[in-house]
Amino acid sequence: MTDVKVKKESTDVVDIENRIKELCQQFPHGITDQVIQNDMPHVEAQQRAMAINRLLSLGQLDLLRNSNGLLYRLKDTQSASKMKGSDNQEKLVYQIIEDAGDKGIWSRDIRYKSNLPLTEINKILKNLESKKLIKAVKSVAASKKKVYMLYNLQPDRSVTGGAWYSDQDFESEFVEVLNQQCFKFLQSKAEAARDSKQSPMVQRNSSFATSHEVWKYICELGISKVDLSMEDIETILNTLIYDGKVEMTIIAAKEGTVGCVDGQMKLYRGVNPIIQPTGLVKTPCGLCPVFDDCHEGGEISPSTCVYMSEWLDF
Amino acid sequence: MTAQEVRLCALLLQEHFGEVVEKVGTHLLRSGALNLRALAHETRTSLDLVKKSLCVLVQHGMCTFGPGRRGPAGPLEYRVSCERILYMLRYPRYIYTAKSLYGDTGELVMEEILQRGQMTMSNTVRTVADRLTQNMEDGQSTDYNDVVTAFSRLVETHFLQRCPPVDTATSKKTVSEVPESPASTITQPSQPENYPDCYKLPQIHLTGRGKRRRSDEDGDVGARVAKKAKLEHTEACGDEGIYWQVNVERFHLHFRHQAIISAVASKLDQTSSEIVRTMLRMSEVTTPANAAYTQAVSANEIFRAVPPSYNISRPILDQYLTLLVDDPMEFVGKAGDSGGGMYVVNLHRALANLARATLESVVQERFGSRSARIFRLLLRKRHLEQKQVEDFAMIPAKEAKDMLYTLLSENLVQLQEIPKTPDHAPSRTFYLYTVNQLPTARLLLQNCYKAVGNLIDRRLFETKENKRHLEKSQRIEAILGSLQASGAEPAQLAEVEEMITAPERQQLEALRHHINKLDSSENQVDETIFLLESYIKSTSCSR
Repeated sequence: MTDVKVKKESTDVVDIENRIKELCQQFPHGITDQVIQNDMPHVEAQQRAMAINRLLSLGQLDLLRNSNGLLYRLKDTQSASKMKGSDNQEKLVYQIIEDAGDKGIWSRDIRYKSNLPLTEINKILKNLESKKLIKAVKSVAASKKKVYMLYNLQPDRSVTGGAWYSDQDFESEFVEVLNQQCFKFLQSKAEAARDSKQSPMVQRNSSFATSHEVWKYICELGISKVDLSMEDIETILNTLIYDGKVEMTIIAAKEGTVGCVDGQMKLYRGVNPIIQPTGLVKTPCGLCPVFDDCHEGGEISPSTCVYMSEWLDF
Repeated sequence: MTAQEVRLCALLLQEHFGEVVEKVGTHLLRSGALNLRALAHETRTSLDLVKKSLCVLVQHGMCTFGPGRRGPAGPLEYRVSCERILYMLRYPRYIYTAKSLYGDTGELVMEEILQRGQMTMSNTVRTVADRLTQNMEDGQSTDYNDVVTAFSRLVETHFLQRCPPVDTATSKKTVSEVPESPASTITQPSQPENYPDCYKLPQIHLTGRGKRRRSDEDGDVGARVAKKAKLEHTEACGDEGIYWQVNVERFHLHFRHQAIISAVASKLDQTSSEIVRTMLRMSEVTTPANAAYTQAVSANEIFRAVPPSYNISRPILDQYLTLLVDDPMEFVGKAGDSGGGMYVVNLHRALANLARATLESVVQERFGSRSARIFRLLLRKRHLEQKQVEDFAMIPAKEAKDMLYTLLSENLVQLQEIPKTPDHAPSRTFYLYTVNQLPTARLLLQNCYKAVGNLIDRRLFETKENKRHLEKSQRIEAILGSLQASGAEPAQLAEVEEMITAPERQQLEALRHHINKLDSSENQVDETIFLLESYIKSTSCSR
């Protein structure tokens, strides 16, 4: 008797499962629990839950959450086929990595999320890597830290560091060259404006260059192997602002004008410093590395100062 | 005051007034207010010498006195002003300014008064005329009237002022010599501007007659000066008891304006700086010394006052003014729209900007332009985490860290911890870097004092090292002089001249070069000191 009941139940479960799958195929965006209930009013909640759980554990169903509760969706067959021949642990790890998106995830974080031992995870990762399902990317934030992400994903800027990094190394020389070129461009523009002998207002306005103009100039120069975006050039121009060589103004511009972002246009111009190097730094004391240790009568003293002697004989 | 300031004061006092004054002055600096007896006792100097030293200090306006802690009946106490002593560093600049504004005569007037602290007008005029005449060729002389003109112009422009009356009964000098007398227990005469006629010239000098008085009592020099003298006015010139002193505040205003003007000139252009100069000149008299803004002047007024040689038409002037107002340095501000636009010069803002530029320049020269980039970045963005600094400045993490930590260890950059949890665990704490402009300016000011002290020390050392050579050359010059006067043979002169050997001559030449260099550096550092001091003063009075 009990045997029969079990058998009957199990067939029921299979039926329910198939029905759920059908429903899911009908609604590719996913179905809620309510939909299943409406479709199979005779099935008990317990049985329904069992069926769903089985499907979930088999990896045929995806559980999603949206604004009005849980949502079931059929897992796309492609990824399911990819995972053919993998065990549950592998699937779990794959899922964790998939969730991490283009930011990637560190192996230690995988361990926390999956609760698997590290050796096991390493084995799985190697396995997945050899199947070309995932790849390891070195992060620029920490050179020894490897993050994993799906094989077909383009790593995020925060991982690669954008245009300024090649192989996790910050290309400071490249940045310096760009910095100098941008400044040269702005400076020549300012000089041309000054020589134009026009009214002061016109002079000032013509010394401004939009970030788009600078971007075009740099692109035409062809000094960069990588494609630089306008934002990249703006970060470079910002360093020039911090160098005190350039000023920026933002003006409103009509949407659709070249170089216009969100109705704003950034204008840059080269400026002169307001003072010459101040008097203090013209003396050796202003630059002395042992200034704080210097006392009359001490080991380091003004009378015996070698820097001072060299400077005096200069 | 700080140890560095005291050290610099001591060096300056010693250089200008000698050892005893230095001893007394430094002791007073260290211990604050003291009465005469305590001072003499603690410095182990005879009462007479202490009195004389105090006299010197009072004469130069560096020492003030007033009733002591025990009230008006107790002994007088003396107090020296560190600030005033440090102004001695600026004397060359005062003199140079007077020279560039009023020529050689102005220079000499300034020099004399600075040297003596305070002088009567008649005395100054006489001495300066004599000195000028001495430097002229034979047969020429300086009219007292020229000197009087220069003097009165210095007074009119407030570069000179009357010493405030100390006491109605006693003159300034005698007061300091009878300190225990209860008659002189008035408050310190600190504000000469409070006296209504502090810029009023004594009447008698304007007649131009008292100036020739000297000729009959003085010897050869005076005789030459007063060739045209009629020798009838030997009586007093009418300005006894009216002493004049240098108005350092006025000079400082002048320096401040010069700094602003030159900053505008290098940031914008010559014409803009001329407009700012005009604005400053127009409001010079009406603006109080420590105001944050000048009095507003209208564009019309500026247009009328701009020197015609600049040939600025009205629309162009308006454009320039708009540009000045638009400039992020905000040297000039707009106060209203009446009269074609009312404009002010933001004095305090300008000083703050200049001080900031000074700090930036120090960082730039000392730690390189990339550190300066970080420094400026922090000044602009106030608080940043290390990662943000690296990203904004586009400097590789390793270098940026190095630079930040160096700046931090030099106290140019500060670190602010903000813990997320009360246990201050490093992993749960934000570390924000920031630059505080005012404390950093104070720090640099102290560094400047020390640097000047070092330069003076080195100068004294160089002179001491070459003392023998110097003495020898002086001796030989004296011999040469006397030989020349007695009409010796040229061969004889050459022989004496050769007593200084070539290497010695070279050494003397090098010494001269060194001393010049040290001297000019002292003045350069003083410019930095001036900027930082004015900035610090302006922020403290605007609060």
